[in-house]
This record gives sequence, structure tokens and C-alpha cells, in this order.
Amino acid sequence: MKLFDYVLSGNCYKIRLLLDFLELSHEKQAVDFFPGREHKSDAFLQINPLGQIPVLEDDGAYIRDAQAILVHLASRYDPTGTWWPVNDPSQLGRVAQWLAFADSITSTASAARLHDVLGYDLDVAQARAGAHKLFRVLDDHLANQELQGFNWIAGSRPTVADIACFPYVALAGDGGIELFYYPAIQRWIRRFVNLPRFKLMPGINIFD
Amino acid sequence: MKPSELEAGWFPAGLQNYVLPKTAGRVVIADNDIALWRGEDGQIRAWENRCPHRGMRLSYGIVRGNTLTCLYHGWSYDGAGACAGIPAHPELTPPKTIRAKAYRAADSGGFIWVANPGETTAAPSIDGDWVPNRSVHIDLAPTSLNELAEGIGAELVSKITDHAAIVRVPEVKGKVLLAFLDMKEHGAMIHTSVPASASENVAIAVSKLSTRLRQVFKASSAA
Ligand SMILES: N[C@@H](CCC(=O)N[C@@H](CS)C(=O)NCC(=O)O)C(=O)O
Ligand code: FES
Repeated sequence: MKLFDYVLSGNCYKIRLLLDFLELSHEKQAVDFFPGREHKSDAFLQINPLGQIPVLEDDGAYIRDAQAILVHLASRYDPTGTWWPVNDPSQLGRVAQWLAFADSITSTASAARLHDVLGYDLDVAQARAGAHKLFRVLDDHLANQELQGFNWIAGSRPTVADIACFPYVALAGDGGIELFYYPAIQRWIRRFVNLPRFKLMPGINIFD
Repeated sequence: MKPSELEAGWFPAGLQNYVLPKTAGRVVIADNDIALWRGEDGQIRAWENRCPHRGMRLSYGIVRGNTLTCLYHGWSYDGAGACAGIPAHPELTPPKTIRAKAYRAADSGGFIWVANPGETTAAPSIDGDWVPNRSVHIDLAPTSLNELAEGIGAELVSKITDHAAIVRVPEVKGKVLLAFLDMKEHGAMIHTSVPASASENVAIAVSKLSTRLRQVFKASSAA
């Protein structure tokens, strides 16, 4: 199993988190994302025609998209069946809903960070406003989960939905998005970093 | 540098569980940036959010025991704000003049309260047992408690400060401790506590009502 990886990518970090949580042995191949733009090279476009990382190679097949890779790893290699709760069909739609939400966080909070940290040319005000809209939804959800005694996005145990949402929420400060507006999100981040085998990514300062 | 003086009186800075023991967090009161933290002793502290060394936000700091250590170069401060250690000069006893500026801070009614160091009144004492319920960020601060209470469809029962009151919320047939914190350019926060005897359904209903205040106190540019 091989992860096409870039250390500062939050989407790659999602995969590294689950590989660590599940203690899966694997290889990492560093992609020179910045400044090399290796993900747009002919060789890499053979692997992922979208020119994006992460990509996972498993049993000779390539899987792209962080959320899809999380589902792949959890359904195939999680003996407890909790990260992607296959045995609880009533939960799966809910988890998938937050996986899709995580990709919208990428296109807003992560875009603001690319602008501030790597100097990407994009409408940062719009990216930040979009992130705040999403963070309000997430904060409302997590606050109401807490009031029902649930610590995680989909209930009493962490799932791939928590992993998929975590990196660009925790890194949002790098894009000028203030997390102190969102106390329930902050408490969830603290619970997340206390999970067994959790490792920090460079740039995530707990806190704000 | 901006003067870091608050207006007189006590401000509802957040819910008690915003800052758990051995953690630090950030709050803005009007335009004062403040670090809140608790040691393992559980005591709440509020300091100007600038490390006396080079100005790093102390809310990024790490709490060990009852000291706060700045994330930047590791200067540490005891619970009273005095510098307790400088890693680059381990043999040095830090001069007494190096101190974090401390505000007054207290827990009451499920909230954290903050006031100027020279505030002469006692922190609000609130009858009954209250548990933290919800904090919601809104675009614009209400102009008054009345406007806030109206926004949530509640009537004032008793005023605690200019920013906090016990209100009755007909929708849940119960009392709620309701407060707002004006963060100026950062908008505002609404905080609620409910009686410890309130059911889960009431707690969730109050949280959802507070969420609705976002529509009431919305920036005109916001969709
Ligand atoms: N939906 C994809 C998005 C991945 C993505 O945006 N990756 C970034 C790096 S963090 C990238 O490769 N960007 C280059 C591009 O989109 O052209 C996922 O979740 O994996
Ligand atoms: S800025 Fe805090 S230790 Fe240097």
C-alpha cells in the first residue's frame, strides 16, 4: 500500500491519520506539490487525471479523493467496523453527508489558507465567508451532539467523518478564519487531538 | 498600542466549559484580546493576550500544572502572572517586573466573567444551579438586553449586568441565563446557561433558539 503524499496537505493528512489510527503498514511517496507542481506532471496525471493528491495505491489499484480513500481503508482494514460503520446502515448516510461537507471545507477554508500561506491568487474574502458559513453549521451540530451526550460528528464514536473534517478546520487559523467564534468546534478539536495514536501535522497549533 | 482597559463592570466572557482545566483559550471583549486559562487547580484566569517577551498570543500557550508557558520561546508564568522561567536562561531568576497583565476572572452561573484588575464590585452571584448550554457567534451585537431578549422571544426576569439577565422563555416554559458579549470588529457572542434541573429536550431547544439569533443580528451584507 502506497500513499502519494505531501506533508503540508490537509487532504493527505486525513489519510495519514487513519493509517496511524488503524496501524496499517504502508509506504509514502512524497509528491513535490509546492513549488514543483509534480501533481500536474504527465507521470502523475496517469495516476490521477484530476491532478490532485492524495492518491492511494492498494493491490495495484489507484484510489483518489481523500474521503473515498478513508472509506476504502476503513471498510477494508478496520476490524472494529467503527470508523466506517458498515454494520449500522442507519448511520452510513449520516457519515457520508459529513464526508461531502468535508470536501466543501476544502474548497473554502483550505482555499483561504492557500491564499495566505502559499500566495495563491483567489478571492480570499469569499473563501473565508464560505468557511464561516460551514463552521456555523458544524458548530451548531457539534453543540447539539454534546447536549445529547455525543462527542463526535456521527455519535458516540469517531468516524471517518471526523477525520475528513478535522484538518482544514484545525488549520483554518492559517487562512485568517477565527476559531474562537466556535466553542463547540474547539472542544471537538481537543477531543480529536487526544485520540490514541493521533499525530500533529506541522502548522496545527492547538489553539486558535 | 491600544489601551487594554475594559469598561467598568463584569463581562460574560464565555461558558465555563469553554476553558477546561489545563487548557487556554482566546476571547475578545470589545477590542481587548484576552487569554483565558485554567491550571489543574481549575481556577479561571484572564490575561492580556500578549506575552511580555515578544507579544505572542498567550492563548496559544501550554498549561502545565498551574503555569502557562508561551508557545513561542517558552517563557512561563505562574498563576498570578509573574514570569517563572526563561528556558534560554535557566539559571536566571526572572525579574519581578516581567508579568502578564491580569484581569479579574470568576466562574458563576455556568459562565466565565472578566473585569478590569481594578474593578471594585464582586463578580455576579447568581441564585440557583446553572449549567453551560450554548455559545453562538453572531455578526452584530445587540444594542441592549431588551433587544436580545426580544430576539429570542423571552421576557426579562432579572437583570444581572448590562449584558446578562435571567429571562423566561415561553417556548420552553423555563428560565434561561442569557448574555451577550460585544467583540466589535469580531461581531458578538451569545451565551446561555440553563437550570441544572432542565431536561435534555429543554437544553437542546434553548440551544436551537440561540442559533436562530444569527438571523436576527445579521450583518446587512450577509446572505
Ligand atoms: N476532493 C479531493 C480534493 C483534493 C485536493 O484538493 N487536493 C489538493 C492538495 S491538498 C490538490 O491536489 N490540489 C491541486 C488541484 O486541485 O489542482 C480530496 O478530497 O482528496
Ligand atoms: S513571545 Fe512568549 S516567550 Fe517569546
